[in-house]
Amino acid sequence: MGLCYSGVRGGKQAIGGTSLQNPNSNNNAAHNDAVDFFFKSNGQQALFTQVELSLSASNLLDRDITSKSDPMVVLLAKKRDGKLEEVGRTEVISNNLNPTWIQKITVTYQFEMVQPLVFHIYDVDTSYHNKPVKSLKLKDQEFLGEASCFLSEIVTRHDRTLTIQLQNRNGHGILRKLGALTVHAEETIASRTAVDITLRCYQLANKDLFSLSDPFLRISRMVEGGGYVPICKTEVVNNNLNPVWRPLCLSWQKVVSLSRFTLIQENPLVIECFDFNSSGNHVLIGKLQKSMADLETLHREKNGANFVIQSSHGHEKVLKGQLFVDLFLEKEQYSFLDYVSSGFELNFMVAVDFTASNGNPRNPDSLHYIDPSGRLNSYQQAIMEVGQVIQFYDSDRRFPAWGFGGKTPAGTISHCFNLNGSASFEVEGIEGIMAAYASALHNVSLSGPTLFGPVINTAAQIAGQSLSNSNSKYFVLLIITDGVITDMQETKDALVRASDLPLSILIVGVGGADFTQMEILDADNGQRLQSSTGRMATRDIVQFVPMREVNSGQISVVQALLEELPGQFLTYFRSRDIKPHARHVC
Amino acid sequence: MDKVHKASRTLEITILSAENLSLNRKSIKNNAYVIARVDPINFGSTRAGFEGGSNPSWNEKLTLDMPFQTRFITLEVKCKTSSGDRVVGTASLPLSDILGDYTPESHLHFLSYRLRDSRGEKNGIINVSARVKEPVESMRPAVTENPVRSGCSSSWKQPAMGVPVGHQMNYYGGGVTRGFPIWS
Repeated sequence: MGLCYSGVRGGKQAIGGTSLQNPNSNNNAAHNDAVDFFFKSNGQQALFTQVELSLSASNLLDRDITSKSDPMVVLLAKKRDGKLEEVGRTEVISNNLNPTWIQKITVTYQFEMVQPLVFHIYDVDTSYHNKPVKSLKLKDQEFLGEASCFLSEIVTRHDRTLTIQLQNRNGHGILRKLGALTVHAEETIASRTAVDITLRCYQLANKDLFSLSDPFLRISRMVEGGGYVPICKTEVVNNNLNPVWRPLCLSWQKVVSLSRFTLIQENPLVIECFDFNSSGNHVLIGKLQKSMADLETLHREKNGANFVIQSSHGHEKVLKGQLFVDLFLEKEQYSFLDYVSSGFELNFMVAVDFTASNGNPRNPDSLHYIDPSGRLNSYQQAIMEVGQVIQFYDSDRRFPAWGFGGKTPAGTISHCFNLNGSASFEVEGIEGIMAAYASALHNVSLSGPTLFGPVINTAAQIAGQSLSNSNSKYFVLLIITDGVITDMQETKDALVRASDLPLSILIVGVGGADFTQMEILDADNGQRLQSSTGRMATRDIVQFVPMREVNSGQISVVQALLEELPGQFLTYFRSRDIKPHARHVC
Repeated sequence: MDKVHKASRTLEITILSAENLSLNRKSIKNNAYVIARVDPINFGSTRAGFEGGSNPSWNEKLTLDMPFQTRFITLEVKCKTSSGDRVVGTASLPLSDILGDYTPESHLHFLSYRLRDSRGEKNGIINVSARVKEPVESMRPAVTENPVRSGCSSSWKQPAMGVPVGHQMNYYGGGVTRGFPIWS
């Protein structure tokens, strides 16, 4: 995240799909920077999960005189600026104060965002009953009640169902009983289906001068307007005109198109074969267009499909090179929401930098300055934004909170002290973290140096020990720092050890320091971290974002940091074959 | 008297894959296999892979007897060539990476190590998963309670036996010393 160092080694990695037989590879199951950047720069969303909401209500207000109310629900999403934007509507049900609507409303679930939803229920006048629901003007209808909640509140419940009491518009008290709305969420089937696919090519054209082509494939899905958007690419096979690539795992979610009327299997995919060049100017060897159904047919019939290329005259020339599908296996995969709603938890932990480079907290220039007007400093902002998202996934809301690099009242410099100054390292709720932080600023004097090792080791110990009691907890450590660490090797050692544990580490860099080292720890360039003993990290568990870079863009710190978390979570549990807890069938 | 009991544990190690292997500076094509060795008499080997080139996968589980005094497991990647079996690279898996790092014994560890060739040069990475099973027969020597392992429910089964277990729980010093050669 942040600055992306790709390098030749990183550039040759497979991206987007998951390597089938290598759970230790760095391939990220859900996201990757290059593809994300492409999506964002085109204004499109990266990987998303579609969730369908089914609605029912009870004890609605009776507005009609001669019959009962004819209710309809309108769902609105609250945007970052507070404005409400309509997402969808149910149908109108006649004459019913306890309706169960058939029309589901689809929303996009994004883990990294707090998603406030507002439901408005209207009584639709009979004169409008035969008109399409979309065309109804809401101001002409009678308002029956409003309910609000966060999307994550619904999807984390084990039955994925939430019942909310209806209130007056804008939540202005409950003057009379308006009834209740029940919302149930289900992921669409796309989120759980994936295909394991092995591709190879035969007789590719040679594009290199002194050796053979270094081919790789890029798979894209078509979008409205005829363009296409990459969804994954294979690794590069060096010097080979008949390459076999490692198996890819393509989730249907990535293939889904914007049009609801085509079956996912029939959505056209564009497969391009490039010759890798370290300069970045990869030469197109050929391309072809196939849907998932076509690929399955190729596999079944053991046929090859020829690549084509635009000739200089504008015609499409059919090439000798062919694509074969050696493996095509559809499988069900449990999704992030499957785990979370079955009881798997994210446990949030925070570590705050108390080194002297932050500046004296009494000084308004200090990164630790607490503004009496209430404006949050960078530390408070990071804690608030990350905590607000993760708190829904942590059932007991008890968060370990530490400081590092400060001199405690006892007089010693500590690199892992309890933020609340007491013997217990846990605080209650995000407000507890903020209070402990504020009080620590009074009691702890800033010192140094900046060491990450002790904090990471402590977090790893907690994560490791929790395995004795439960294998359904995943830990997230947020480290907020202003500076350059002085124990790089110890930090790498700690991270390599932690990569085998259910732990992810999010680092926010505040202030204007040079955070190049952090980019190395983030390992987005494809270089795995190595410990001093020759052990390598088995997963990339670190995400780093410098606060200043994010403030200038449109994405928030939170989004940038948290986007990869569901992927890291899934990689950990899937590689160990740990499944969600059994659900009670309703 | 002690000879009646077997003083060993069982190690289940699955050789998953390797990355970026080369022999004589060229990427290897196929026929690579791995030997996991506990000591000269306890070792196992995977079959040779025919595909995957310099990034072979085996996904083969080896079950080895591991005497209590074991400190390392050696992983050796070899390649069948026309001039015999050549060593591509080796790595050492210290037992402390599997035992004694806060995790319960049943935890399946996913580990990766840098391979070095016979000249000590870097030559790829090996990926394995490993788990220690309960002692075959326990001939329990004097058990030194490891003060670090407070959270483990199965800690009574752990004879700490001269295996360099865990790290210093020194939160205020930051450093961790291991006594193993430091690779540059």
